[in-house]
Amino acid sequence: MASRRVEENRVAFQRYKEDVKRDGKPFYPYAMFHDTVMSLVVVCVIVGLAFVWHYTSLLGPSLAAKADPGTVSFVPRPDWYFYFLFYLLRIFKWPNSVILGTVGIPTILLILALAIPFIDLRRERRLLRRPIAIVAAVLVALSMGVLTYKGATAKEALGAELLADVPNWVKSEQLPPQALPGAKLFATSGCLNCHTYQGVGGSQLGAPNLSAEGSKNKGITFQIAHLKCPSCVNKGSPMPSFAAFGNANLRKLAIFLEASKGPH
Amino acid sequence: MEPQQGQGKPHLPPPSLWPIGFAIGIVCILVGLIVSWPAAAVGVAVTVVFGFLWVRDVTGGYRRRDIGTEPAVGGPESATEGAPAIPADRGEAAMPEPAPGERFPRSVFLEGATLGLGSVIAGIVTVPIVGFSIAPVFQHVHHDEIDLGPISNFKEGQYVVTTFLRDPSEGEISRRTAYIRNNGFLDNKPSFTVLSNRCAHLGCPVQPNGPMFDKQKLEETTKTGDVTLIPALPAGGFGCPCHGGQYDQEGNRTAGPPVRALDRYEFYIRNGRLAVGRTYSVSHVDGAGASAKIHKYKETGPGQHVDGPEQWFYPLQPPS
Amino acid sequence: MPRRRDRKEQMLAAAQYPLDWLEERSGLIGGLRYFLFRKVPGDSGWWHTLGSATLTAFLVQLGTGVILAMYYKPDPKSAYESVQHINNDVTLGWLVRGMHRWGASVFIILIFFHMARVFLFGAYKYPRELNWVVGVLLLPLALLEGFSGYLLPYDQTAYWATVVGININGTGPFIGPFLASFLRSGPEITGDTLSRFYSIHMLLLPGAILGLIGLHLYLVVRLGVSSPPWSPEAAGRERAEPPPVPGSGLVNPAPRGVTKRPD
Ligand code: HEM
Ligand code: FES
Repeated sequence: MASRRVEENRVAFQRYKEDVKRDGKPFYPYAMFHDTVMSLVVVCVIVGLAFVWHYTSLLGPSLAAKADPGTVSFVPRPDWYFYFLFYLLRIFKWPNSVILGTVGIPTILLILALAIPFIDLRRERRLLRRPIAIVAAVLVALSMGVLTYKGATAKEALGAELLADVPNWVKSEQLPPQALPGAKLFATSGCLNCHTYQGVGGSQLGAPNLSAEGSKNKGITFQIAHLKCPSCVNKGSPMPSFAAFGNANLRKLAIFLEASKGPH
Repeated sequence: MEPQQGQGKPHLPPPSLWPIGFAIGIVCILVGLIVSWPAAAVGVAVTVVFGFLWVRDVTGGYRRRDIGTEPAVGGPESATEGAPAIPADRGEAAMPEPAPGERFPRSVFLEGATLGLGSVIAGIVTVPIVGFSIAPVFQHVHHDEIDLGPISNFKEGQYVVTTFLRDPSEGEISRRTAYIRNNGFLDNKPSFTVLSNRCAHLGCPVQPNGPMFDKQKLEETTKTGDVTLIPALPAGGFGCPCHGGQYDQEGNRTAGPPVRALDRYEFYIRNGRLAVGRTYSVSHVDGAGASAKIHKYKETGPGQHVDGPEQWFYPLQPPS
Repeated sequence: MPRRRDRKEQMLAAAQYPLDWLEERSGLIGGLRYFLFRKVPGDSGWWHTLGSATLTAFLVQLGTGVILAMYYKPDPKSAYESVQHINNDVTLGWLVRGMHRWGASVFIILIFFHMARVFLFGAYKYPRELNWVVGVLLLPLALLEGFSGYLLPYDQTAYWATVVGININGTGPFIGPFLASFLRSGPEITGDTLSRFYSIHMLLLPGAILGLIGLHLYLVVRLGVSSPPWSPEAAGRERAEPPPVPGSGLVNPAPRGVTKRPD
C-alpha cells in the first residue's frame, strides 16, 4: 500500500508531465541551442588551456623528469583534483588515524552522496526552504575549497626547498657572513621538520620557533651541549640528538642560532 | 509506365540504362586516378549525372505517391509523431504473456536450460579472464641477492645512500634506494643497518635530514647492475616529503603519520662483499647500531599497522 | 501547379527517401525525433546545460585519447620517450595531448558543477533518485580515470602519485593489501603495472562510464528535467487556482499540432 507521501509524489509528477506536455518547449532547437553554446565554450576552454600550457609556463611544465623510483630528492604531489585528499592525509598525522584519511572519510562521503535522495524525502525544492541542504552544500564546498587550497600551497621542510630561503633569512635577520655555513646546515638537516624559522617549517612535537633564538643569549657552549643531548639540558625534551654531526658542524649551527636575533 | 501498387502484381523495378552509365563513370574515375586528372574529372561528372538520373528513376513511383502528405524534414510541428508512445511490453515486437493452451506454452525446462547454459558461457569466459588478471596477486616473487660491492666502500658509522636495481631483469623501474650504515662487528660478524627509503605511511621516498656528500659519490658495476653510493650525514634522521613523516637514525618513527618504523632489507656478506635480499617490516627498534633489537614482521604494505589493535584490519597479506 | 515547384518537392521527397528507408527498417528516425522534439519545461535554461557540457568534455577525452593511443607506448622503457615524441615531433601532438590533459580537469570540474546544480535544484528527488545514484557512481569513475591516466607519461610526478595512490588502496581494511597488489600486478610496481593501468584507463573505465552515461541519459529523457525551483511557472508546481488555459502567458507557446499520446 502506498503511503500518503508516495501518493502525493505521484500526483505531483503527473502534474509535472501534464504541465510539460502543455506548456513545455521542444528540446530541439530551444534547449539544444543553449547546450550547444555551452559545449562550444567548453571546447574553447579546453583548447585554450592546451595552448596556454604549450606556449607559457603558467600551467607548469609539460613533462617532469623521467620517473626515478630510486630518487632521494623528489617531492611527490598529485593532480590538483586530488589535493583535497592529499591534504586530508596531512591532517591525519597520527598513525592510528591514517585509515580515516585514506579510506574512511572518502568512503563516508561517497555513501552520504549516494544516500542523499533517500534521506531528503520532502518534495520541497525551493532553496530557501531547505536550510539544512544549504548549510550542508556551503560546508562541503567550503571545506573542499580550503583543502584544495591548502594542498596546493603545502610545502615540505626539505633541504632542497629550504636552501632557497637562506638568502631571505640573511636579509631579514641580518645574519653575519660567519653564520652562513650554519644557516645552510640548519636548512638541510631536518631541524625545520619540527621547528619553524621565518615562517617556514613544520611545528611538530611542540618544537618552538627559532627565529629569535639568539636574543635569549644562551651562548655557543649551551647550544652545542643542547644539540648533542637535548634531554640532558632540558629534561624531558623530545628533540633527537644531533651529536652525530661532530663538533665542527655543531659549532657552525650554534653560531647561526646565536646570530638569529629575530627579524629586523 | 509502372505497375500500380496494391493490384496483387509483383512489384518489379523498371528496366533502366542509367546504372550502366553510372558504372562507366566509376570506371572512368578509377582509370583517371591512375592515368590523368582530367579523365578522372570527366568520370566524376558522368557518375554524378547518371547517378542522379538513376535515383530519380528509381524513386519516381514513390515520389508520385506521397507528394504533399509527407513533410520534408521534421520540424516542431511533428513533435510527437514517431514517438514510441506504446509501452515496450505492448509494442509489436514484444512477446505477449502466453495464454493457456497455446502452441508454445512456457517451458520451465527450456527457461532453466537457457539460463543455465548462459551461466556456463559466462563462467567459461569469466573464470580465465579474472584468474588471469588476479593471479599475480597470489604468486610468490623470487628475489635474487643483490650485490652492492665490497664492504670497504662502507665506512664504519657512516650512512651511505645506496641505489641499486632490486630486480635486474626488470631494469630501471626496479631501482631502489637504501640507507646503509656499517655498524662494525657484533660477535666477530660484520653488522649493517639497511633501511628501505619507502615511507611507512604511503610509500613516498624518504630523504636524509642532513647533508649528502655528492663529491664523494662512488659508482660500482656489479653482476646485478649499477650501484651508486653517496655518503650522507642524516644527523636529524630521515624525513618524508609527502605528509611530513619523521624517522630517527634507526628508522623509528618520531613524528607524523607513518604507522611504524622504516622497512629493512636482509643483508648477507659474500666474500667480503655486501649483498641485500628480501625486505621485512619493523614495528620499532630498541637501542641503536649493532646491538639494536629489531621487532621484525613479514613485509607489509605502507600504511598498514603490524602491531597494536589496528593490525586486525590486515589479517592476511598477499605473498611478496 | 507550376513546374518549378513540382521539381522542388520531388527533390525534397528524394532526399527524404533514405530516411524513410532507415525508419521502415529500424525505427531509429522515430527514436531520434522523439529525443529531439520531446518537450522540456519552458523555463529550463543555462543551468541545464552543465550536464551536456560534461558529456562534451567526455567526448573530447574519448576523441583525443584514441589519437594519443596511436603514438603512446605503455612500457617503462619507452613510455616517457613516446610522450616526449608526441609533444615535440608529432604534428599538433602537443595540442592533442594538451587537450587530453586539460580536458580531464575540465571534465571533473564540470561534473562537480553539474552535481551542484542538481543538488541546489533539488532535482534528485522523486522520481529522479536513481539518476542521482547513477551520477554519484560516475563521479568516482571519473576520478579513477584521472588517477589511472596520471601514471601513463611515466615522469616523476606520475610515478610517485601512483605509488601513493596504490598504497592508499592498500590501507583499506582486510582486502586493501590484495587490492593494492592487484593494481600493481604483484608486490612491486613493474612494467606490468603500467600496461595494467593503460588498459584500465582506456578500456575498462571508459566502457563503464559510457554505459552509465547511457543509462543516465535514458533516465533524463524518460523522466524529463526539473524546472528551476524558483520559477513562477515551474512545471508541476502546486497551484491554488485552476490550471491555466493552454498556451496562455508562456515563455514559448505550445507548438502546433500536438496531439495527446495514447497512454
Ligand atoms: C560523466 C558525468 C555526467 C554526465 C555526462 C552527465 C550528463 C547529464 C545530462 C546531459 C543531463 C541532462 C541535462 C542537465 O540537467 O544538465 C543530466 C541530468 C542529471 N544528472 Fe547528470 N551527468 C553526469 C554526472 C552526474 C553526477 C555526478 C550526478 C549527481 C551526483 C548527476 C545527476 C543528475 C541528475 C539527478 C539529473 C536530472 C536533472 C534534472 O532532472 O533536472 N549527474 N546529466
Ligand atoms: S608518505 Fe611519508 S608521510 Fe605520507
